Amino acid sequence: MSTPTTDRHAPTTVAGQPAPSHPMRRPPLVPTWSATRERLLAGGFMAPAVILVALFLLAPFVWTIYRSFFSDTRTSPFSWFDNYTLFASDPALSRSIQNTLMWVVGTVVLPFVLGLAIACMTNAGRFSRLARLCVVLPYALSGSAVAVVWNFMLTTDGAVNQVLTGLGLDSLAQGWLLTWPGNTIVMILANAWQATGVAVILFLVGLQSIPPETLEAGALDGAGAWQQFRHIVLPQLRPVSIIVIGMSLVNGLKSFDLIWVLTQGGPGRATETLAVSMYNETFLELRPGAGAAIAVVLTVIVLAASWLYLRRQLDVKGV
Amino acid sequence: MSASGRTSSAATPLARRGLLAGAVAGVAALAAGGCARGASTSAQPGTTSISNDNATWDEGYRSAGRELEKITGYALRPLSNPSVTSYQQVVQMTLQTSKASDLIKWASGYQLKRLARAGGLTDLTRVWQRYADKGWVRRTSRQALSYRGTTYGIPLYESYYVLFYNKPVFRRLGLSAPETWDGLLHCAEVLERNKITPFLASQVGGWPAIEWFQELVSKVDPGFYQRLVAGEASYTDDPARQAMDIWQDFMRKGWMTAPDFDQARGPGALKEGTVGMFLHGTWQASGMAAAGMEPGTDYGAFILPTVRPSTAKSVIAESGVFVVPSRASSHRAAMANVGSWLDPSVQRVWSDFLQDSSANPKVRSANPVVAGLQRDIARNRRLALVRYWEASPPSLIQGNTDDLGGFMAGQASAATTLRRMQERAHDEWAAWKRDEA
Repeated sequence: MSTPTTDRHAPTTVAGQPAPSHPMRRPPLVPTWSATRERLLAGGFMAPAVILVALFLLAPFVWTIYRSFFSDTRTSPFSWFDNYTLFASDPALSRSIQNTLMWVVGTVVLPFVLGLAIACMTNAGRFSRLARLCVVLPYALSGSAVAVVWNFMLTTDGAVNQVLTGLGLDSLAQGWLLTWPGNTIVMILANAWQATGVAVILFLVGLQSIPPETLEAGALDGAGAWQQFRHIVLPQLRPVSIIVIGMSLVNGLKSFDLIWVLTQGGPGRATETLAVSMYNETFLELRPGAGAAIAVVLTVIVLAASWLYLRRQLDVKGV
Repeated sequence: MSASGRTSSAATPLARRGLLAGAVAGVAALAAGGCARGASTSAQPGTTSISNDNATWDEGYRSAGRELEKITGYALRPLSNPSVTSYQQVVQMTLQTSKASDLIKWASGYQLKRLARAGGLTDLTRVWQRYADKGWVRRTSRQALSYRGTTYGIPLYESYYVLFYNKPVFRRLGLSAPETWDGLLHCAEVLERNKITPFLASQVGGWPAIEWFQELVSKVDPGFYQRLVAGEASYTDDPARQAMDIWQDFMRKGWMTAPDFDQARGPGALKEGTVGMFLHGTWQASGMAAAGMEPGTDYGAFILPTVRPSTAKSVIAESGVFVVPSRASSHRAAMANVGSWLDPSVQRVWSDFLQDSSANPKVRSANPVVAGLQRDIARNRRLALVRYWEASPPSLIQGNTDDLGGFMAGQASAATTLRRMQERAHDEWAAWKRDEA
């Protein structure tokens, strides 16, 4: 593969004379009309996207940062970092951070492990297509629809407790959505039930792109099934794993719809994540300043986590 | 190359044209949709638009609108947004624009005060005064409809918080509607012995968590309830502790449904006989009808007895209101309709639809159960107390409602819950008073 330096064409002068032979020495840049026109054209094509992003993403974000420094009284005076100190003083926000961390761990680990396991098990086999369909189907459902179904299952007089009671396991029946941390854990499981589908699809694509020769070579060298998986399959699934973990990480940090439909962050704000707290503070508690501060903190966490993770992973790959 | 090149160069512009045409059509469709949405609040001859957060009431508005049209020449055109949270946001935002509806359904008390404080509402003091002169409105309700002495709301309906019960089940078990606290406890014990959950209690959707709190505090001491919601008493005072202890005791005895029991299933559960008593607003009478229950035959209702016989009798009242944005698209028509809303001929139709009591005290409910409650309230001169949801600043109520939900789920003790509520009350009342100053 050629390096960028060797790919670069030698620039020409206006008079069409050849560029100096010294590769490190740049000639004076005199833009030609065609180069200017090209730049203008490129700018014109980029402008709609840049304007839209600036208008609908960057401007509201800047305004949100600005708003987070003002208090929530009627006159909204400048209050420095008062809204940010809520993270230390408000127990509901402390619980919200705990829940967000649980969601991140749960939404990264469960879809990754389950997705990989199911993809490996259904990559070949008699009923693999049917099994794959069953796992992938929930991914096609909307988060709200999934939440409605799980609500039917998890309420105190819902399907799960009825089954348990029917089996004589009354002692196991409980209010699944009522007590912390059980309510957050069951919601993470419900989310994993839906999110595993996409991980399965991605891992299947990865598995099918592994050259069979590498596995055959491993088998000839006497590698067992586990050794083949550990030393041949898993390393070749690295690019897919990066995508799955990256997506799960961001999904975990911004989880909202399932929680909102199942518990609305309750009871008593016990199941809120930062995204739900942001909504709750802004629109229900009517504290837009506090909501803006949560939004800023959440955005910083999402960006930092994504950047740190992707930078590390993509650098290693050399992408 | 030449042939294929020509073909491709001829096909590309066509494809591009098709893409562009599709994009333009899409944008046009979106724009048309946007315009159509905007047009829904714009003036339409012979009608006034009404923003509403309960789509099941649309037919009632239309029926009442037909009566209004006979008087004012303007019918009602309901625009529903069934999500209460998004409804409140939309209303508050559109109130400042030229796209505001002609009439807006809103809550009374501090919810109305907060909306009025932001500006953009029409002064309805003269309309209210005309109603008061005719005796079509309770004079005592004015405080809950006003902000700084100006009336901004006209009562839309008036509901009372009562316990609905299944008459055949009560009859079968030899019970009757209790008139004393001991009678209530006896009913609960008998129902529980017969494997019927005595009381429906829920925190699904947030706000239902206030129902038992407001009911028990007001039946322990109605005067204390008034002082409490006005910020003049503490949540850690004895009457509040006593009410929470009763509530805790009911839950410990298994007398209440699980907190995640959805109230929407209340009428069905009452009909099936799995729940004995359902504490809710009388507007739930239409839900009973939808479940196929006949008032007076299949279900009855009573007001929760006071804990001590000597305690003054009271009832928790909820009153929705109509407000008129000052920038309403058809302001004149809106004022005409709001000025005739409490006319008995309109209220007859509206009350019949809701199966509830009218805000006009001269209109007797057609529902015999609700009519019986109206007689009880008048005969016993029950003190009407503003529902907790509207009785204090909204931020305080929302936070305290969350705490009560946590208490119902067993996350916090009664003492901890009350302490948190009091701490919030201290902060939020200070903030409200600072804002008012």
